[in-house]
Amino acid sequence: MSASGFLRFPAPLTRRCMVPWGLRLREMPALLSPGTAVTPAQMAGRKDRPALLSLDESELEEQFVKGHGPGGQATNKTSNCVVLKHIPSGLVVKCHQTRSVDQNRKLARKILQEKVDVFYNGENSLVYKDKREAEKKKQERKKRAKETLEKKKRLKELWESSKSVQGERSADSD
Amino acid sequence: MECWGRMLRAFLSGPGRRGGAWGSAYSSWRPHRPVPGLLNATELVSHWTAIFEKEGIPEAQESSEYIVAHVLGAKTFQSLRPVLWTQPLTPWQLQCIQELSSCRLQRMPVQYILGEWDFRGLSLKMAPPVFIPRPETEELVEWVLEEVAQRPRAVGAQGGPLILEVGCGSGAISLSLLSQLPQSQVIAVDKGEASICLTRENAQRLRLQDRIWIVPFDVTLEGSWAHLLSWGPMDLVVSNPPYVFHQDMEQLAPEILRCRKAEAQRGKLPCPSYEDLAALDGGEKGMDIITHILTLAPRLLKDSGSIFLEVDPRHPELVGGWLQSRPDLSLDLVAVRKDFCGRPRFLHIRRSGPQHGCPAHAWPGPQPARVPG
Repeated sequence: MSASGFLRFPAPLTRRCMVPWGLRLREMPALLSPGTAVTPAQMAGRKDRPALLSLDESELEEQFVKGHGPGGQATNKTSNCVVLKHIPSGLVVKCHQTRSVDQNRKLARKILQEKVDVFYNGENSLVYKDKREAEKKKQERKKRAKETLEKKKRLKELWESSKSVQGERSADSD
Repeated sequence: MECWGRMLRAFLSGPGRRGGAWGSAYSSWRPHRPVPGLLNATELVSHWTAIFEKEGIPEAQESSEYIVAHVLGAKTFQSLRPVLWTQPLTPWQLQCIQELSSCRLQRMPVQYILGEWDFRGLSLKMAPPVFIPRPETEELVEWVLEEVAQRPRAVGAQGGPLILEVGCGSGAISLSLLSQLPQSQVIAVDKGEASICLTRENAQRLRLQDRIWIVPFDVTLEGSWAHLLSWGPMDLVVSNPPYVFHQDMEQLAPEILRCRKAEAQRGKLPCPSYEDLAALDGGEKGMDIITHILTLAPRLLKDSGSIFLEVDPRHPELVGGWLQSRPDLSLDLVAVRKDFCGRPRFLHIRRSGPQHGCPAHAWPGPQPARVPG
């Protein structure tokens, strides 16, 4: 198994990377404070947005539900759950999201990548940053929506009052 | 395939039209009705898991999870929206689950029960007796993709690699290669008519039919390969050929053999297997089809073209030895790769230059077959 095969993540996977159900995370130790983390070198990314730490295959331990028997053509197994462990941190991800072993392996790596990021970088992790940004945008949208609503309200009041003034004038002019 | 037929009719007819015909097929087996009060998905999975376990059905929990998820419109139980785990099921859903589970009680493979399965994220239709793609084979495709990405190829007028797949089955290998290599083209061959039809159907479902030619072809028949030359020399030959040792065929699970022994013991005629056994049986040392492919490939491959095979773990040595006994083929075993269970499973064989007695490289058009040496 060469490492190069698993550092490529096809585009559809990145879109699908929400928190999947059925995930069990064993042994999640307390987050280290950012300063004490021992991390592999950060990949070069955009200036304000460093890329997610990539996983080193040699630090991973992968397990499958292996049936007894010869495997390959001689068996027909549908259990394709993947259990992936990041040895340095002890983080474990279990993935049975899809019916394809290959896809479960890639998904497990993607999920583990994020877990490792949070583990080592805590609040500075990309995951947390994205969350905060999303929350910030949400608040901004709410604020704008509220302001728009108030503007409309004021305009309506203005129109209502000008209408009644018009009514009075026309009454006067008779 | 009485279970299959009934299942299809049930799906086509909708609720309320099943009547008594369903019960009669299982007179020798007590039907398991859902216990009143079991209304949600989670409970139903537990219910059927227990039944499967009691009846000795392997992968009891996985089977019931896939069936319940499928009826609820999801591919896996874990990917179901959690709210659906505890929501009551409709009588129609319960009936579907009952029928699909009945098939599982007859050891029908889950992939045939659902009528579909995934391969490297592609959803493929499954239908007996066409061979069901195995998870190991996903890694064969991974390897081919890695190699294609690494080797700078002389890009011809058509772009991507021209690939021959021998024994396409449901089309899993061909279609996943096509979907990942947008410039590639594939010639997919199989000796089974059902495979030809199913590959065609899957190609259309995935809208890849424009880049694949699906051709009935038996690699063991001498001389029938000449018309494949008309597509020009190929960059790659890929195959998951039948590789089970003939002596091991008896040991295969009922999901594959379909209780052949039990039927024979009861004095009945052996019923047809779920999967086409010809897709599995590789002859005495599992080498019959492999050696035919390796004999044919040099005539179809470009210089330095590659062959990628999935094999039995005993084959790397056997194939290496066999290739050494056939220097006329100009093929070298360049790499062996293990599957995710750590078993040597995949071979990369490369053609090392022009074959003796064959014209080197240029194939201007259909040519008469040439015999080496």
